Amino acid sequence: MTDAVAPSAIRAPARLLPRVQVAPWLYLLPTLAVLFVWIYLPLFQSFQLSFTQWNMLPTKTPKPVGWANYRNLLALPELRQAALNTVWYVVGLLPLSVVIPLAVAILTQDLTGRLRNLYRALIFIPMIVPPIVAAVLWRWLLNEDYGLVNHIIAGLGFPTVKFFQNPDIALWTMVWITGWKLMGFSTLLLSAANGTIDPGYLEAARMDGANRWQITRDIRLPLLSPTILLLVMMTVLFGAQWSFVYINAITDGGPMGATTNIFFLMWKYGFQTFSAGWSATAGIMTFVTFGLLALLFLGLSRKVAFHDN
Amino acid sequence: MTTRSRATTVATHGAMILLVLTAVVPVYWMIVTAFRPEIEIFSLRLLPQQPTLENFAFVLTAIPMLKMLGNTFVMAAATALAQILTGLFAAYALTCWRFPGGKVVQSLIALSWLVPFQVTMIPNYVLSTKLGLLNTTTGLVLPNAAAAFAVLVLVNAMKSFPRQVIEAARMDDAGHWRILWEIIVPNLRPAIASLGVLAFISAWNEYFWPLLLIRKIEDSVVQIGLQMFMTQEGNQWGPLMAAATLASLPVFGLYLVLHRQVIDSFMKSGLK
Repeated sequence: MTDAVAPSAIRAPARLLPRVQVAPWLYLLPTLAVLFVWIYLPLFQSFQLSFTQWNMLPTKTPKPVGWANYRNLLALPELRQAALNTVWYVVGLLPLSVVIPLAVAILTQDLTGRLRNLYRALIFIPMIVPPIVAAVLWRWLLNEDYGLVNHIIAGLGFPTVKFFQNPDIALWTMVWITGWKLMGFSTLLLSAANGTIDPGYLEAARMDGANRWQITRDIRLPLLSPTILLLVMMTVLFGAQWSFVYINAITDGGPMGATTNIFFLMWKYGFQTFSAGWSATAGIMTFVTFGLLALLFLGLSRKVAFHDN
Repeated sequence: MTTRSRATTVATHGAMILLVLTAVVPVYWMIVTAFRPEIEIFSLRLLPQQPTLENFAFVLTAIPMLKMLGNTFVMAAATALAQILTGLFAAYALTCWRFPGGKVVQSLIALSWLVPFQVTMIPNYVLSTKLGLLNTTTGLVLPNAAAAFAVLVLVNAMKSFPRQVIEAARMDDAGHWRILWEIIVPNLRPAIASLGVLAFISAWNEYFWPLLLIRKIEDSVVQIGLQMFMTQEGNQWGPLMAAATLASLPVFGLYLVLHRQVIDSFMKSGLK
């Protein structure tokens, strides 16, 4: 008897209390603690560090220098090169992560059956290959003297290509490795979106005498635009970051900084030359730039989503 | 008409086969090189004439490969488990309660995805040094113990869970803890499993944080071991490909068994 009364007696005042709930915050605590300690607090600390000079030795304290890091970095050709390279990484990735997958997805829309599942399973493989493994295997395939690709090139009668040593080519090699991992994934994502298009629309257009290209341009592409925008956004926001492993493991930013993008430059300042202030400054500038781009994309995607309705 | 559709079919399969070859040939070449004896390393044959395990044997003696595979497995499994647990709690809070600040918290969680790791790496490295986390598996797991995408995937899964069931359970005086573990978790098993697979693969493939945190090869994960091995053995292609094959083996194994689920979970969570 008393057992049955006690719990409800305890719970009753809880219902009368004003709605300041502790429970949801307790459930959120682990996630928020991790994000606060390892992302948001460090972000703020990087902001503070960007106004200091520090060589990362625990015995030294960061020395305040005001805006000097920002002034110096913005005047530095090395930073300009890295920023420009970052743009090239993104521009170079777009065909591999969006354009080619889109073309393949539309071209192969009628594919059905068992073969389709086999294709799906195979083209997705690069996505799960560990990035450092991709670096190692492409270093072998594109090796100047013995690599499979140069064997083929030589077999066709062309001079072999120095994929990693030629400053005009090395960046595109890094872009290729990054894009190689994404191509199959993007294709599947776009195929899936393409598959959800209501066949009624296509049938109606066909009845009206629209040809394949008109259907693609006027019906498929507009209906695919949210997925396309998502892939473009991912590529712009994260493409250059994904290249980091390959730059770090294969070219070390060279030859002559040709493959250094802004994310590799931050790492170099931080852990090769130990100028924490510069690394943090480059980091904050990058974060702000990409943050603004992200806002732009979110605004765009809202418009596109509305257009879809 | 038939010739036209046949042309389309050829183009369709042609495009797919080209993409398949682009995806598969590099991986195939890695595996096949790993089995070639030294005199056949530069051979262009599709299969080695005298397949050998000597490259694998060399790797196992040259670097602590098995130890590193073990470290990576523990790290990836712990990361996946932690992300599922923290994600379940957070998602439950965000879907089953309406409370002031809930929307803001959800945005804060989602936006954490936008902060590049390179921006926070120095403070994180300094903190890890202070906490004595250098060269430890704990240090590898902690910063990834919660992930925005895990929370968001589980929020979506829980949102589609019928509210009436939860309300009925509340009527029966079930506490939140019990509702989460006895009603929601069993019903979300497929979503949780696919999230786990995704988190495991992502953690297994993680490169940047281990690169900073781990300096000793015995404590290292296999990704960094492979990088160190490549720096040392530069052009020993046979052993290098054997090491690379071993480093991707668990992920390939998982994919072989669960490829449909793996593809689905990657597509649902966007890129990572």
